[in-house]
Amino acid sequence: MLIFKLAFRNILRQRRRSLLTALSMAGGYMLFVFSMSLLEGSWTNVVDIFTLDHTGHVQIHKDDYAKRPKIYKTITDRDSVESVLTGNEGVKGWAPRVYSTALAYGGDKTSIAQIFGIDVTLEPSVTRIKQKVTEGIYFDNQPDADGYAKAMIGRGLANILKLNIGDEIVLISSGADGSIANDVFVISAIVGNTTSFDRLGVFLPITVAQRFLSIDADVHEYALLARDKHANERLARSLQLALPQLKVSPWQEIEATFYRTMQSDKQSNYFTMGLIVFIVFVGVLNTVLMSVLERTKEFGVLRSIGCRPSELVKLIFIETVMLAFASILAGLVLILPVIMWFTNVGLKLDIAFDMGGVVFDTMKGDFSAYVIFMPMGFMLLTAALISLPPGLRAARILPREAMGSH
Amino acid sequence: MTTVIETRELVRKFGSGETQVTALNEVSITIRKGEFTAITGPSGSGKTTLLQLIGGLDEPDAGDVFLSGSNIAKMSGSELSDFRRDHIGFIFQSYNLIPVLSAEENIEYIMLLQGISAKIRQSRVREMLALVGLEGMGDRRPANLSGGQQQRVAVARAMASKPDIILADEPTANLDSKTGIALLDVMRQLNQQMDMTFVFSTHDHKIMDRADRLVHLEDGVIHLDESRSV
Ligand SMILES: Nc1ncnc2c1ncn2[C@@H]1O[C@H](COP(=O)(O)OP(=O)(O)OP(=O)(O)O)[C@@H](O)[C@H]1O
Ligand SMILES: [Mg+2]
Repeated sequence: MLIFKLAFRNILRQRRRSLLTALSMAGGYMLFVFSMSLLEGSWTNVVDIFTLDHTGHVQIHKDDYAKRPKIYKTITDRDSVESVLTGNEGVKGWAPRVYSTALAYGGDKTSIAQIFGIDVTLEPSVTRIKQKVTEGIYFDNQPDADGYAKAMIGRGLANILKLNIGDEIVLISSGADGSIANDVFVISAIVGNTTSFDRLGVFLPITVAQRFLSIDADVHEYALLARDKHANERLARSLQLALPQLKVSPWQEIEATFYRTMQSDKQSNYFTMGLIVFIVFVGVLNTVLMSVLERTKEFGVLRSIGCRPSELVKLIFIETVMLAFASILAGLVLILPVIMWFTNVGLKLDIAFDMGGVVFDTMKGDFSAYVIFMPMGFMLLTAALISLPPGLRAARILPREAMGSH
Repeated sequence: MTTVIETRELVRKFGSGETQVTALNEVSITIRKGEFTAITGPSGSGKTTLLQLIGGLDEPDAGDVFLSGSNIAKMSGSELSDFRRDHIGFIFQSYNLIPVLSAEENIEYIMLLQGISAKIRQSRVREMLALVGLEGMGDRRPANLSGGQQQRVAVARAMASKPDIILADEPTANLDSKTGIALLDVMRQLNQQMDMTFVFSTHDHKIMDRADRLVHLEDGVIHLDESRSV
């Protein structure tokens, strides 16, 4: 097509100027992609850390248990919930849970403790509980030789109560029926560290916890992992439809404060990048406008020989978008290895920090269509818009400028 | 013979008040198909202005221009644009080829605007290049052509759309007299071979001598309008 040839050669006409314009656009694009990659990468990392540590991608509760947990707000019709979960393609794994608080005694020490009743076999399909065992071995449902049920306790609790593997721990709490619950358990493992969210936790096999709290076979929560973690909100909605009697919440609702922080951090990055793109394109606008004014006579000639004004708008549009596209592609080629390295290897941080017992020590990038094409689309759109004022300026050039005698 | 250009009492003024100039003052002229007309007159007499009004590049303050019977004042902007594309060819003093396009592409571009198919465009480009004596130079950029060659390309470009009229504002002014005369001979030949109507302005006596009609302007008024046999 002659018009593309014309546009292309017009770009090459002022090589140095086009190159500088292209560099600014390529630079803007690279910065945009890089910041998006790191931002998406770090947040995904953090979200993975807590969803795989305990939250899961979606949770199911009775009424408002998530906000106001009460021991009696239990899910009783477990069969129907579990058949829905098992039957849903989008669910990768699920596990039932029971919660309560208790007083814990070890020797002459005492502490507050949180009881987590978990399904010994299902829980590892949702969380990294097995990997969090730092001492001893992951427990099972079998009582020990003396008939005591096994428990795993958080590192914080172990420190306070000065307990080790094989020691006994006494828990006192109240059952759902108001009765006093107390029992002795034997420690099979210590999990996490002193900053983990479950540092004061006591993990019990779920049936043991149910008996201890007198809640029959009922549970307080189902946590589940989505097959596609990015589609967890959609999964929550579809499960909610199937389970109208219960409350299904994506992690975004469970960790609402965190989610808001994350969103506003992302928004402030969009804003910064928008500003950078804006600055880049103010320069581009200026250059394109200049190139149009320089070609006043030429456009006058084109108008004289019968070029419609719209033809000139089209020409400037093609020139601008073509240059932007080429710049973005060049930027992509340069930034691709960088974000691939950040995604696959990542930058080791000098100071590792601990998030809920999981160490966060590498700055990771994200490598996805979104990170590459969102900035690309945004910048191409901006280029298209920015070509309009110079294009309209060119269209207004009078055909008699071609004579150029005055 | 059919009339292709008719102007009726064309008036064009520039500026206002004290400094107002009347570039054309009630100019009426009729040009028939196949005529080879030279517009002459001293600098500032209104030659360029007249050609611009005839070609629809500018609007008169009063009077009308009829091209092949249509009043161009009645046309909208894009109608006029299309009319120029399909019915008028322009040749400028300073050639005004598109510098980034080759000779061929310069000629082709206007046909592209007309929506002519690639095959016909290609064959017509070759035909036009041959007519102006530039066979084999089609892929050169204007910068690699001499002034006379560039102006021949401009003539070919003006002819390519098969217009009714070709308007040329001092087409030879930037050329030495030998080259200028050679160019004019090319135009004359096209005029005779293809019965194409040419209107051009000039200062040069040797050029005027080749026209079969001389329209002499002074201060925006036609002083002399003579037909002659060459
Ligand atoms: N755009 C304009 N603005 C102001 N005055 C103009 C303009 N165009 C033409 N004029 C004036 O109109 C008159 C006629 O100008 P025109 O260019 O038609 O003369 P010309 O015969 O072509 O002259 P030349 O031989 O120098 O090319 C001149 O006095 C000129 O100054
Ligand atoms: Mg003039």
